[in-house]
Amino acid sequence: MKKNNIEGWLFVSPLVIWISLIILVPIYIAFELSLFNVKIIGTSGKFLGIDNYIKLLGKSNFLNASLNSFYWVIGNAICQTFFAFTIALTINYKFPGKRIMANWIILSFIIPTVVVVVIWKLMLSSSSGVINSVLIDLGILDEATGFFSSPNKAFISLVLINSWRWSPFLALIILSGLNSINREMYDASKVDGANFIQQFLFITFPNLKSVLFVLGLVGTLLSFNIFDIIWLITKGGPSSATTTLPLLIYETAFTKFRISQAATLSIITSFLLLLFSIIFIKFMDPKEDE
Amino acid sequence: MNKEDNIKFIFLSLSLIIIILVFFFPFFWIITSSFKNPEEIISTSTTIIPRSFTLEHYYKILFNSDFFIYLKNSLIISFSSMIISIILSVSAAYGLHKLKFYGNKFVEYSLLVTYAFPGVILLVPIYLLFAKVNLLNSYFALIIVNVLFATPFAVWMLKAFFKLIPNEIEEAAYIDGASRYIVISRIIVPLAAPGIASVSIFCFIISWTEYLFASILISGDNLKTLPVGLAGIVGQYQIDWGFLLSGAVLASLPVIALFVFIGKYFISGLTEGAVK
Repeated sequence: MKKNNIEGWLFVSPLVIWISLIILVPIYIAFELSLFNVKIIGTSGKFLGIDNYIKLLGKSNFLNASLNSFYWVIGNAICQTFFAFTIALTINYKFPGKRIMANWIILSFIIPTVVVVVIWKLMLSSSSGVINSVLIDLGILDEATGFFSSPNKAFISLVLINSWRWSPFLALIILSGLNSINREMYDASKVDGANFIQQFLFITFPNLKSVLFVLGLVGTLLSFNIFDIIWLITKGGPSSATTTLPLLIYETAFTKFRISQAATLSIITSFLLLLFSIIFIKFMDPKEDE
Repeated sequence: MNKEDNIKFIFLSLSLIIIILVFFFPFFWIITSSFKNPEEIISTSTTIIPRSFTLEHYYKILFNSDFFIYLKNSLIISFSSMIISIILSVSAAYGLHKLKFYGNKFVEYSLLVTYAFPGVILLVPIYLLFAKVNLLNSYFALIIVNVLFATPFAVWMLKAFFKLIPNEIEEAAYIDGASRYIVISRIIVPLAAPGIASVSIFCFIISWTEYLFASILISGDNLKTLPVGLAGIVGQYQIDWGFLLSGAVLASLPVIALFVFIGKYFISGLTEGAVK
Protein backbone atom coordinates (compact mmCIF):
# COMPACT_ATOMS: atom_id res chain seq x y z
CA MET A 1 0.00 0.00 0.00
CA LYS A 2 1.25 3.48 -0.70
CA LYS A 3 2.36 5.54 2.23
CA ASN A 4 0.68 8.80 3.21
CA ASN A 5 3.29 10.07 5.61
CA ILE A 6 2.34 13.71 5.82
CA GLU A 7 -1.41 13.27 5.76
CA GLY A 8 -1.27 10.37 8.20
CA TRP A 9 0.71 12.30 10.75
CA LEU A 10 -1.55 15.30 10.25
CA PHE A 11 -4.50 13.21 11.39
CA VAL A 12 -2.83 11.65 14.40
CA SER A 13 -0.70 14.58 15.50
CA PRO A 14 -3.30 16.56 17.51
CA LEU A 15 -3.87 13.56 19.76
CA VAL A 16 -0.25 12.48 19.80
CA ILE A 17 0.86 15.99 20.78
CA TRP A 18 -1.81 16.24 23.49
CA ILE A 19 -0.88 12.90 25.01
CA SER A 20 2.88 13.33 24.78
CA LEU A 21 2.74 16.80 26.31
CA ILE A 22 0.70 15.59 29.25
CA ILE A 23 2.86 12.51 29.77
CA LEU A 24 6.38 13.51 28.77
CA VAL A 25 6.55 16.97 30.35
CA PRO A 26 5.40 15.66 33.75
CA ILE A 27 7.82 12.75 33.52
CA TYR A 28 10.63 15.18 32.80
CA ILE A 29 9.57 17.27 35.80
CA ALA A 30 9.43 14.14 37.95
CA PHE A 31 12.90 13.12 36.82
CA GLU A 32 14.31 16.54 37.63
CA LEU A 33 12.64 16.49 41.04
CA SER A 34 13.99 13.06 41.80
CA LEU A 35 17.52 14.45 41.68
CA PHE A 36 16.80 17.10 44.31
CA ASN A 37 15.63 17.17 47.87
CA VAL A 38 12.29 18.94 47.62
CA LYS A 39 9.83 18.45 50.46
CA ILE A 40 6.85 20.77 50.31
CA ILE A 41 5.46 21.67 46.90
CA GLY A 42 6.74 25.01 45.66
CA THR A 43 9.94 25.07 47.72
CA SER A 44 13.35 24.30 46.26
CA GLY A 45 15.72 21.72 47.62
CA LYS A 46 19.38 20.96 47.28
CA PHE A 47 20.85 18.80 44.55
CA LEU A 48 21.27 15.17 45.55
CA GLY A 49 22.04 13.35 42.30
CA ILE A 50 21.00 9.74 42.49
CA ASP A 51 20.91 9.71 46.30
CA ASN A 52 17.11 9.46 46.34
CA TYR A 53 17.23 6.34 44.21
CA ILE A 54 19.86 4.63 46.34
CA LYS A 55 18.06 5.47 49.58
CA LEU A 56 14.69 4.40 48.22
CA LEU A 57 15.70 1.00 46.93
CA GLY A 58 16.83 -0.01 50.41
CA LYS A 59 13.75 1.30 52.20
CA SER A 60 11.43 -1.24 53.75
CA ASN A 61 8.23 0.61 52.83
CA PHE A 62 9.25 0.62 49.16
CA LEU A 63 9.92 -3.12 49.23
CA ASN A 64 6.68 -3.72 51.10
CA ALA A 65 4.67 -1.69 48.58
CA SER A 66 6.34 -3.37 45.60
CA LEU A 67 5.53 -6.78 47.04
CA ASN A 68 1.95 -5.70 47.76
CA SER A 69 1.62 -4.43 44.19
CA PHE A 70 2.95 -7.72 42.89
CA TYR A 71 0.43 -9.73 44.96
CA TRP A 72 -2.28 -7.27 43.99
CA VAL A 73 -1.70 -7.75 40.25
CA ILE A 74 -1.40 -11.54 40.55
CA GLY A 75 -4.42 -11.84 42.86
CA ASN A 76 -6.57 -9.71 40.60
CA ALA A 77 -5.40 -11.56 37.51
CA ILE A 78 -6.37 -14.92 39.00
CA CYS A 79 -9.73 -13.76 40.38
CA GLN A 80 -10.71 -11.77 37.33
CA THR A 81 -9.72 -14.50 34.87
CA PHE A 82 -11.83 -16.98 36.82
CA PHE A 83 -14.87 -14.71 37.19
CA ALA A 84 -14.64 -13.34 33.66
CA PHE A 85 -14.46 -16.77 32.04
CA THR A 86 -17.29 -18.05 34.22
CA ILE A 87 -19.49 -15.12 33.23
CA ALA A 88 -18.51 -15.26 29.56
CA LEU A 89 -19.02 -19.02 29.21
CA THR A 90 -22.35 -18.81 31.05
CA ILE A 91 -23.72 -15.92 29.02
CA ASN A 92 -22.53 -17.66 25.86
CA TYR A 93 -25.35 -20.21 26.27
CA LYS A 94 -28.89 -19.48 25.16
CA PHE A 95 -31.24 -18.79 28.05
CA PRO A 96 -34.22 -16.48 28.56
CA GLY A 97 -33.08 -12.96 29.44
CA LYS A 98 -29.61 -13.49 27.97
CA ARG A 99 -29.58 -10.20 26.05
CA ILE A 100 -30.66 -8.11 29.02
CA MET A 101 -28.09 -9.77 31.20
CA ALA A 102 -25.31 -9.34 28.63
CA ASN A 103 -26.08 -5.62 28.49
CA TRP A 104 -26.51 -4.97 32.20
CA ILE A 105 -23.79 -7.13 33.68
CA ILE A 106 -21.45 -4.23 33.00
CA LEU A 107 -23.26 -2.02 35.52
CA SER A 108 -20.50 -2.46 38.07
CA PHE A 109 -18.06 -1.02 35.54
CA ILE A 110 -19.96 2.10 34.51
CA ILE A 111 -20.77 3.47 37.97
CA PRO A 112 -18.22 5.71 39.70
CA THR A 113 -15.61 3.85 41.78
CA VAL A 114 -16.74 5.85 44.77
CA VAL A 115 -20.15 4.20 44.43
CA VAL A 116 -18.46 0.78 44.32
CA VAL A 117 -16.79 1.74 47.57
CA VAL A 118 -20.10 2.82 49.11
CA ILE A 119 -21.80 -0.44 48.06
CA TRP A 120 -19.17 -2.70 49.59
CA LYS A 121 -18.55 -0.61 52.68
CA LEU A 122 -22.25 -0.96 53.45
CA MET A 123 -22.55 -4.64 52.56
CA LEU A 124 -19.34 -5.67 54.33
CA SER A 125 -19.79 -3.47 57.38
CA SER A 126 -18.94 -5.38 60.55
CA SER A 127 -21.76 -3.87 62.61
CA SER A 128 -24.70 -3.96 60.23
CA GLY A 129 -23.52 -5.42 56.93
CA VAL A 130 -25.84 -7.77 55.08
CA ILE A 131 -23.00 -10.17 54.24
CA ASN A 132 -22.21 -10.66 57.91
CA SER A 133 -25.85 -11.32 58.81
CA VAL A 134 -26.27 -13.79 55.95
CA LEU A 135 -23.09 -15.66 56.91
CA ILE A 136 -24.24 -15.82 60.53
CA ASP A 137 -27.72 -17.01 59.53
CA LEU A 138 -26.18 -19.73 57.38
CA GLY A 139 -24.02 -20.80 60.30
CA ILE A 140 -20.75 -20.09 58.50
CA LEU A 141 -19.75 -17.43 61.03
CA ASP A 142 -20.41 -17.39 64.76
CA GLU A 143 -20.19 -13.64 65.11
CA ALA A 144 -19.78 -10.64 62.83
CA THR A 145 -16.28 -10.31 61.39
CA GLY A 146 -14.47 -7.18 60.26
CA PHE A 147 -13.61 -7.74 56.62
CA PHE A 148 -10.98 -5.01 56.67
CA SER A 149 -9.64 -5.52 60.17
CA SER A 150 -6.76 -7.93 59.64
CA PRO A 151 -4.05 -7.53 56.95
CA ASN A 152 -4.94 -10.69 55.04
CA LYS A 153 -8.70 -10.24 55.21
CA ALA A 154 -8.43 -6.63 54.07
CA PHE A 155 -6.20 -7.54 51.15
CA ILE A 156 -8.43 -10.38 49.97
CA SER A 157 -11.60 -8.32 50.39
CA LEU A 158 -10.11 -5.54 48.28
CA VAL A 159 -9.01 -7.96 45.55
CA LEU A 160 -12.55 -9.36 45.43
CA ILE A 161 -14.17 -5.91 45.34
CA ASN A 162 -11.87 -4.79 42.55
CA SER A 163 -12.53 -8.01 40.63
CA TRP A 164 -16.25 -7.42 41.09
CA ARG A 165 -15.83 -4.11 39.32
CA TRP A 166 -13.70 -5.35 36.44
CA SER A 167 -14.73 -8.95 35.68
CA PRO A 168 -17.97 -8.18 33.82
CA PHE A 169 -16.11 -5.83 31.49
CA LEU A 170 -13.46 -8.47 30.81
CA ALA A 171 -16.17 -11.07 30.40
CA LEU A 172 -17.79 -9.07 27.61
CA ILE A 173 -14.49 -8.76 25.80
CA ILE A 174 -13.90 -12.50 26.12
CA LEU A 175 -17.50 -13.08 25.01
CA SER A 176 -17.01 -11.18 21.77
CA GLY A 177 -13.84 -13.19 21.24
CA LEU A 178 -15.89 -16.35 21.75
CA ASN A 179 -18.47 -15.19 19.23
CA SER A 180 -15.82 -14.75 16.59
CA ILE A 181 -14.84 -18.42 16.84
CA ASN A 182 -16.27 -20.54 14.07
CA ARG A 183 -19.11 -22.70 15.46
CA GLU A 184 -18.28 -25.53 13.06
CA MET A 185 -15.05 -26.22 14.90
CA TYR A 186 -17.03 -27.20 17.98
CA ASP A 187 -19.37 -29.42 15.97
CA ALA A 188 -16.47 -31.11 14.24
CA SER A 189 -14.68 -31.73 17.53
CA LYS A 190 -17.87 -33.20 18.98
CA VAL A 191 -18.03 -35.70 16.12
CA ASP A 192 -14.45 -36.64 16.96
CA GLY A 193 -15.52 -37.24 20.55
CA ALA A 194 -14.01 -34.22 22.30
CA ASN A 195 -15.52 -33.36 25.68
CA PHE A 196 -16.22 -29.93 27.11
CA ILE A 197 -12.81 -29.50 28.74
CA GLN A 198 -10.92 -30.60 25.63
CA GLN A 199 -12.96 -28.16 23.56
CA PHE A 200 -12.04 -25.37 25.93
CA LEU A 201 -8.33 -26.21 25.91
CA PHE A 202 -7.88 -26.88 22.20
CA ILE A 203 -10.43 -24.65 20.48
CA THR A 204 -11.63 -21.86 22.76
CA PHE A 205 -8.36 -20.96 24.41
CA PRO A 206 -6.08 -20.88 21.33
CA ASN A 207 -8.65 -18.83 19.43
CA LEU A 208 -8.77 -16.24 22.15
CA LYS A 209 -5.02 -15.64 21.97
CA SER A 210 -5.12 -12.14 20.54
CA VAL A 211 -7.88 -11.07 22.92
CA LEU A 212 -5.95 -12.50 25.84
CA PHE A 213 -2.83 -10.67 24.70
CA VAL A 214 -4.55 -7.30 24.92
CA LEU A 215 -6.18 -8.24 28.21
CA GLY A 216 -2.92 -9.50 29.65
CA LEU A 217 -1.09 -6.29 28.87
CA VAL A 218 -3.78 -3.71 29.50
CA GLY A 219 -5.31 -5.63 32.39
CA THR A 220 -2.04 -5.92 34.26
CA LEU A 221 -1.27 -2.23 33.90
CA LEU A 222 -4.84 -1.28 34.80
CA SER A 223 -4.94 -3.33 37.96
CA PHE A 224 -1.53 -2.06 38.95
CA ASN A 225 -2.98 1.43 38.59
CA ILE A 226 -5.92 0.94 40.97
CA PHE A 227 -5.90 3.63 43.60
CA ASP A 228 -9.29 4.91 44.69
CA ILE A 229 -10.88 1.61 45.74
CA ILE A 230 -8.00 0.85 48.08
CA TRP A 231 -7.52 4.38 49.34
CA LEU A 232 -11.18 5.01 50.10
CA ILE A 233 -11.69 1.72 51.91
CA THR A 234 -8.53 0.99 53.89
CA LYS A 235 -6.21 3.96 53.31
CA GLY A 236 -3.49 1.33 52.78
CA GLY A 237 -3.92 -0.26 56.19
CA PRO A 238 -4.09 -2.17 58.44
CA SER A 239 -0.36 -1.76 59.10
CA SER A 240 0.44 -1.00 55.42
CA ALA A 241 -0.86 -4.38 54.30
CA THR A 242 -2.79 -2.85 51.43
CA THR A 243 -0.33 -0.09 50.54
CA THR A 244 0.53 -0.73 46.90
CA LEU A 245 2.96 1.46 44.95
CA PRO A 246 0.29 3.94 43.77
CA LEU A 247 -0.80 4.45 47.39
CA LEU A 248 2.78 4.84 48.55
CA ILE A 249 3.39 7.53 45.91
CA TYR A 250 0.22 9.34 46.95
CA GLU A 251 1.03 9.15 50.66
CA THR A 252 4.63 10.24 50.18
CA ALA A 253 3.56 13.27 48.19
CA PHE A 254 0.33 14.39 49.77
CA THR A 255 0.35 13.25 53.38
CA LYS A 256 4.07 13.21 54.15
CA PHE A 257 4.93 16.05 51.75
CA ARG A 258 8.13 14.48 50.44
CA ILE A 259 7.77 15.58 46.85
CA SER A 260 11.20 14.49 45.64
CA GLN A 261 10.80 11.04 47.12
CA ALA A 262 7.38 10.68 45.51
CA ALA A 263 8.88 11.75 42.17
CA THR A 264 11.66 9.19 42.55
CA LEU A 265 9.06 6.51 43.26
CA SER A 266 7.13 7.56 40.16
CA ILE A 267 10.21 7.32 37.96
CA ILE A 268 11.17 3.88 39.26
CA THR A 269 7.61 2.66 38.87
CA SER A 270 7.29 3.94 35.29
CA PHE A 271 10.56 2.28 34.44
CA LEU A 272 9.38 -1.07 35.82
CA LEU A 273 6.08 -0.86 33.96
CA LEU A 274 7.72 0.16 30.71
CA LEU A 275 10.06 -2.80 31.03
CA PHE A 276 7.11 -5.09 31.66
CA SER A 277 5.23 -3.74 28.61
CA ILE A 278 8.18 -4.10 26.27
CA ILE A 279 8.88 -7.65 27.39
CA PHE A 280 5.20 -8.53 27.19
CA ILE A 281 4.77 -7.14 23.66
CA LYS A 282 8.02 -8.73 22.51
CA PHE A 283 7.29 -12.24 23.74
CA MET A 284 3.53 -12.54 23.88
CA ASP A 285 2.26 -10.74 20.77
CA PRO A 286 0.36 -13.53 18.98
CA LYS A 287 0.70 -11.76 15.63
CA GLU A 288 4.38 -12.60 15.54
CA ASP A 289 3.54 -16.28 14.97
CA GLU A 290 1.83 -15.69 11.66
CA MET B 1 -31.68 -35.02 27.34
CA ASN B 2 -28.59 -37.14 27.81
CA LYS B 3 -26.32 -37.15 30.83
CA GLU B 4 -23.86 -34.54 29.58
CA ASP B 5 -26.66 -32.11 28.79
CA ASN B 6 -28.05 -32.59 32.27
CA ILE B 7 -24.73 -31.76 33.90
CA LYS B 8 -24.36 -28.73 31.66
CA PHE B 9 -27.84 -27.56 32.57
CA ILE B 10 -27.18 -27.83 36.28
CA PHE B 11 -23.87 -25.98 35.97
CA LEU B 12 -25.40 -23.29 33.83
CA SER B 13 -28.32 -22.64 36.20
CA LEU B 14 -26.04 -22.67 39.21
CA SER B 15 -23.58 -20.19 37.78
CA LEU B 16 -26.43 -18.01 36.52
CA ILE B 17 -27.88 -17.81 40.01
CA ILE B 18 -24.49 -16.98 41.50
CA ILE B 19 -23.78 -14.33 38.86
CA ILE B 20 -27.14 -12.68 39.43
CA LEU B 21 -26.62 -12.74 43.21
CA VAL B 22 -23.10 -11.37 43.07
CA PHE B 23 -23.50 -8.79 40.33
CA PHE B 24 -27.07 -7.59 40.64
CA PHE B 25 -28.03 -8.00 44.27
CA PRO B 26 -25.67 -5.23 45.50
CA PHE B 27 -27.53 -2.72 43.32
CA PHE B 28 -30.90 -3.89 44.63
CA TRP B 29 -29.46 -3.53 48.12
CA ILE B 30 -28.17 0.03 47.92
CA ILE B 31 -31.20 1.29 46.03
CA THR B 32 -33.67 -0.17 48.53
CA SER B 33 -31.47 0.87 51.45
CA SER B 34 -31.46 4.47 50.25
CA PHE B 35 -35.21 4.52 50.93
CA LYS B 36 -34.99 2.93 54.39
CA ASN B 37 -35.09 4.96 57.56
CA PRO B 38 -31.72 5.44 59.30
CA GLU B 39 -32.43 2.91 62.06
CA GLU B 40 -33.14 0.15 59.56
CA ILE B 41 -30.00 0.83 57.50
CA ILE B 42 -27.72 0.26 60.47
CA SER B 43 -29.83 -2.39 62.21
CA THR B 44 -28.18 -5.78 62.67
CA SER B 45 -31.26 -7.80 61.82
CA THR B 46 -31.47 -7.40 58.08
CA THR B 47 -34.40 -8.45 55.93
CA ILE B 48 -34.37 -8.64 52.15
CA ILE B 49 -37.72 -6.86 51.84
CA PRO B 50 -37.43 -3.32 53.27
CA ARG B 51 -39.51 -2.66 56.38
CA SER B 52 -39.60 1.11 56.13
CA PHE B 53 -39.92 3.69 53.39
CA THR B 54 -38.75 7.27 53.51
CA LEU B 55 -37.68 10.00 51.12
CA GLU B 56 -35.86 11.99 53.80
CA HIS B 57 -32.38 11.15 52.50
CA TYR B 58 -33.20 12.31 49.00
CA TYR B 59 -34.85 15.41 50.35
CA LYS B 60 -31.76 16.16 52.41
CA ILE B 61 -29.29 15.64 49.55
CA LEU B 62 -31.31 17.60 47.00
CA PHE B 63 -32.28 20.56 49.16
CA ASN B 64 -29.77 20.66 52.00
CA SER B 65 -26.43 19.94 50.37
CA ASP B 66 -24.09 21.08 47.62
CA PHE B 67 -25.34 18.28 45.36
CA PHE B 68 -26.38 20.55 42.49
CA ILE B 69 -23.07 22.42 42.51
CA TYR B 70 -21.16 19.14 42.26
CA LEU B 71 -23.57 17.88 39.63
CA LYS B 72 -23.06 21.00 37.53
CA ASN B 73 -19.27 20.67 37.81
CA SER B 74 -19.33 17.00 36.89
CA LEU B 75 -21.58 17.65 33.92
CA ILE B 76 -19.48 20.52 32.55
CA ILE B 77 -16.22 18.61 32.94
CA SER B 78 -17.54 15.34 31.55
CA PHE B 79 -19.24 16.88 28.52
CA SER B 80 -16.27 19.03 27.59
CA SER B 81 -13.86 16.12 28.02
CA MET B 82 -16.14 13.95 25.91
CA ILE B 83 -16.36 16.41 23.03
CA ILE B 84 -12.63 17.11 22.89
CA SER B 85 -11.85 13.39 23.18
CA ILE B 86 -14.19 12.54 20.31
CA ILE B 87 -12.74 15.14 17.96
CA LEU B 88 -9.16 14.12 18.67
CA SER B 89 -9.80 10.40 18.53
CA VAL B 90 -11.96 10.37 15.39
CA SER B 91 -9.16 12.16 13.59
CA ALA B 92 -6.45 9.90 14.98
CA ALA B 93 -8.45 6.71 14.45
CA TYR B 94 -9.11 7.65 10.83
CA GLY B 95 -5.43 8.37 10.28
CA LEU B 96 -4.39 5.06 11.79
CA HIS B 97 -7.10 3.13 9.99
CA LYS B 98 -6.86 4.52 6.48
CA LEU B 99 -3.51 6.18 6.02
CA LYS B 100 -0.56 3.89 6.35
CA PHE B 101 2.25 6.18 7.42
CA TYR B 102 5.73 5.80 8.75
CA GLY B 103 5.47 4.97 12.45
CA ASN B 104 1.80 4.00 12.53
CA LYS B 105 2.45 0.72 14.37
CA PHE B 106 4.49 2.58 16.94
CA VAL B 107 1.68 5.08 17.53
CA GLU B 108 -0.80 2.24 17.84
CA TYR B 109 1.17 0.33 20.46
CA SER B 110 2.05 3.48 22.34
CA LEU B 111 -1.65 4.29 22.57
CA LEU B 112 -2.36 0.86 23.98
CA VAL B 113 0.29 1.31 26.65
CA THR B 114 -0.86 4.87 27.36
CA TYR B 115 -4.39 3.59 27.90
CA ALA B 116 -3.15 1.67 30.85
CA PHE B 117 -0.55 4.20 31.90
CA PRO B 118 -0.81 4.52 35.65
CA GLY B 119 -2.26 7.92 36.35
CA VAL B 120 -0.84 8.02 39.82
CA ILE B 121 2.69 8.18 38.43
CA LEU B 122 1.73 11.45 36.75
CA LEU B 123 -0.11 12.80 39.74
CA VAL B 124 2.74 14.63 41.47
CA PRO B 125 4.39 16.07 38.34
CA ILE B 126 1.06 17.09 36.78
CA TYR B 127 0.16 18.81 40.01
CA LEU B 128 3.42 20.74 39.88
CA LEU B 129 3.09 21.51 36.19
CA PHE B 130 -0.46 22.82 36.60
CA ALA B 131 0.62 24.83 39.63
CA LYS B 132 3.31 26.49 37.51
CA VAL B 133 0.96 27.40 34.66
CA ASN B 134 -1.86 28.38 37.01
CA LEU B 135 -4.26 25.64 36.00
CA LEU B 136 -4.99 24.25 39.46
CA ASN B 137 -8.58 24.71 40.57
CA SER B 138 -10.00 24.97 37.10
CA TYR B 139 -12.29 22.85 34.98
CA PHE B 140 -9.64 22.78 32.31
CA ALA B 141 -7.16 20.97 34.56
CA LEU B 142 -9.49 18.00 34.84
CA ILE B 143 -10.52 18.15 31.18
CA ILE B 144 -6.88 17.89 30.07
CA VAL B 145 -6.34 14.84 32.26
CA ASN B 146 -9.63 13.15 31.35
CA VAL B 147 -8.91 13.46 27.64
CA LEU B 148 -5.57 11.82 28.26
CA PHE B 149 -7.25 8.86 29.98
CA ALA B 150 -10.16 8.48 27.56
CA THR B 151 -8.65 8.87 24.10
CA PRO B 152 -6.28 5.89 23.78
CA PHE B 153 -9.04 3.31 24.16
CA ALA B 154 -11.46 5.52 22.23
CA VAL B 155 -9.11 5.40 19.23
CA TRP B 156 -8.86 1.64 19.60
CA MET B 157 -12.66 1.30 19.58
CA LEU B 158 -13.21 3.75 16.73
CA LYS B 159 -10.73 1.98 14.50
CA ALA B 160 -12.79 -1.19 14.83
CA PHE B 161 -15.92 0.69 13.79
CA PHE B 162 -14.20 2.30 10.81
CA LYS B 163 -13.12 -1.15 9.63
CA LEU B 164 -16.78 -2.10 9.26
CA ILE B 165 -17.33 0.58 6.61
CA PRO B 166 -16.82 -0.94 3.16
CA ASN B 167 -13.89 0.57 1.34
CA GLU B 168 -15.87 0.81 -1.93
CA ILE B 169 -18.15 3.54 -0.61
CA GLU B 170 -15.17 5.74 0.09
CA GLU B 171 -13.47 4.92 -3.22
CA ALA B 172 -16.65 5.80 -5.11
CA ALA B 173 -16.79 9.20 -3.40
CA TYR B 174 -13.21 9.96 -4.39
CA ILE B 175 -13.94 9.05 -7.99
CA ASP B 176 -16.82 11.53 -7.88
CA GLY B 177 -14.28 14.13 -6.86
CA ALA B 178 -14.98 14.42 -3.14
CA SER B 179 -12.21 15.74 -0.91
CA ARG B 180 -10.91 13.95 2.18
CA TYR B 181 -12.83 16.37 4.36
CA ILE B 182 -16.12 15.69 2.56
CA VAL B 183 -15.57 11.94 2.76
CA ILE B 184 -14.98 12.07 6.48
CA SER B 185 -17.81 14.42 7.36
CA ARG B 186 -20.43 13.05 4.94
CA ILE B 187 -19.57 9.35 4.80
CA ILE B 188 -17.32 8.10 7.56
CA VAL B 189 -18.83 9.96 10.50
CA PRO B 190 -22.50 9.26 9.64
CA LEU B 191 -21.82 5.59 8.89
CA ALA B 192 -19.85 5.15 12.09
CA ALA B 193 -22.43 7.07 14.14
CA PRO B 194 -23.36 4.15 16.44
CA GLY B 195 -19.67 3.60 17.07
CA ILE B 196 -19.05 7.26 17.75
CA ALA B 197 -22.01 7.27 20.12
CA SER B 198 -20.64 4.35 22.08
CA VAL B 199 -17.17 5.87 22.23
CA SER B 200 -18.77 9.06 23.49
CA ILE B 201 -20.36 7.22 26.39
CA PHE B 202 -17.06 5.60 27.16
CA CYS B 203 -15.36 9.01 27.31
CA PHE B 204 -18.18 10.42 29.38
CA ILE B 205 -18.01 7.56 31.87
CA ILE B 206 -14.23 7.87 32.23
CA SER B 207 -14.60 11.54 33.15
CA TRP B 208 -17.72 11.06 35.24
CA THR B 209 -16.11 8.47 37.48
CA GLU B 210 -12.61 9.98 37.78
CA TYR B 211 -11.69 10.55 41.40
CA LEU B 212 -7.93 10.69 41.99
CA PHE B 213 -7.04 13.78 39.95
CA ALA B 214 -10.30 15.53 40.81
CA SER B 215 -9.45 15.19 44.49
CA ILE B 216 -5.95 16.65 44.12
CA LEU B 217 -6.19 19.23 41.34
CA ILE B 218 -9.36 20.85 42.70
CA SER B 219 -9.51 22.23 46.19
CA GLY B 220 -12.24 24.85 45.98
CA ASP B 221 -15.60 23.60 47.24
CA ASN B 222 -17.45 25.27 44.39
CA LEU B 223 -15.49 23.31 41.76
CA LYS B 224 -15.63 19.81 43.27
CA THR B 225 -17.07 16.92 41.29
CA LEU B 226 -19.63 14.36 42.49
CA PRO B 227 -17.16 11.53 43.22
CA VAL B 228 -15.06 13.89 45.35
CA GLY B 229 -18.15 15.12 47.16
CA LEU B 230 -19.25 11.55 47.88
CA ALA B 231 -15.79 10.51 48.98
CA GLY B 232 -15.92 13.34 51.49
CA ILE B 233 -18.91 11.68 53.15
CA VAL B 234 -17.28 8.22 53.02
CA GLY B 235 -14.27 9.59 54.87
CA GLN B 236 -16.27 10.93 57.81
CA TYR B 237 -15.93 9.14 61.10
CA GLN B 238 -19.66 8.79 61.62
CA ILE B 239 -21.06 7.98 58.19
CA ASP B 240 -24.59 9.22 57.50
CA TRP B 241 -25.52 6.14 55.49
CA GLY B 242 -28.87 7.31 54.17
CA PHE B 243 -27.35 10.53 52.90
CA LEU B 244 -24.39 8.67 51.36
CA LEU B 245 -26.55 6.00 49.71
CA SER B 246 -28.97 8.45 48.14
CA GLY B 247 -25.96 10.41 46.89
CA ALA B 248 -24.44 7.26 45.42
CA VAL B 249 -27.68 6.38 43.64
CA LEU B 250 -28.06 9.91 42.26
CA ALA B 251 -24.43 10.03 41.10
CA SER B 252 -24.90 6.78 39.18
CA LEU B 253 -28.17 7.83 37.51
CA PRO B 254 -26.73 9.95 34.66
CA VAL B 255 -24.39 7.25 33.40
CA ILE B 256 -27.10 4.63 33.76
CA ALA B 257 -29.55 6.84 31.85
CA LEU B 258 -27.04 7.29 29.03
CA PHE B 259 -26.46 3.59 29.05
CA VAL B 260 -30.19 2.81 28.66
CA PHE B 261 -30.24 4.74 25.39
CA ILE B 262 -27.01 3.67 23.74
CA GLY B 263 -25.82 0.79 25.88
CA LYS B 264 -26.15 -1.74 23.09
CA TYR B 265 -23.71 0.15 20.90
CA PHE B 266 -21.49 0.80 23.87
CA ILE B 267 -21.09 -2.90 24.55
CA SER B 268 -20.40 -3.73 20.92
CA GLY B 269 -17.94 -0.86 20.73
CA LEU B 270 -16.03 -1.95 23.79
CA THR B 271 -15.84 -5.53 22.71
CA GLU B 272 -15.17 -5.03 18.99
CA GLY B 273 -12.38 -2.62 19.82
CA ALA B 274 -10.52 -5.18 21.84
CA VAL B 275 -11.01 -8.09 19.51
CA LYS B 276 -10.04 -6.53 16.20
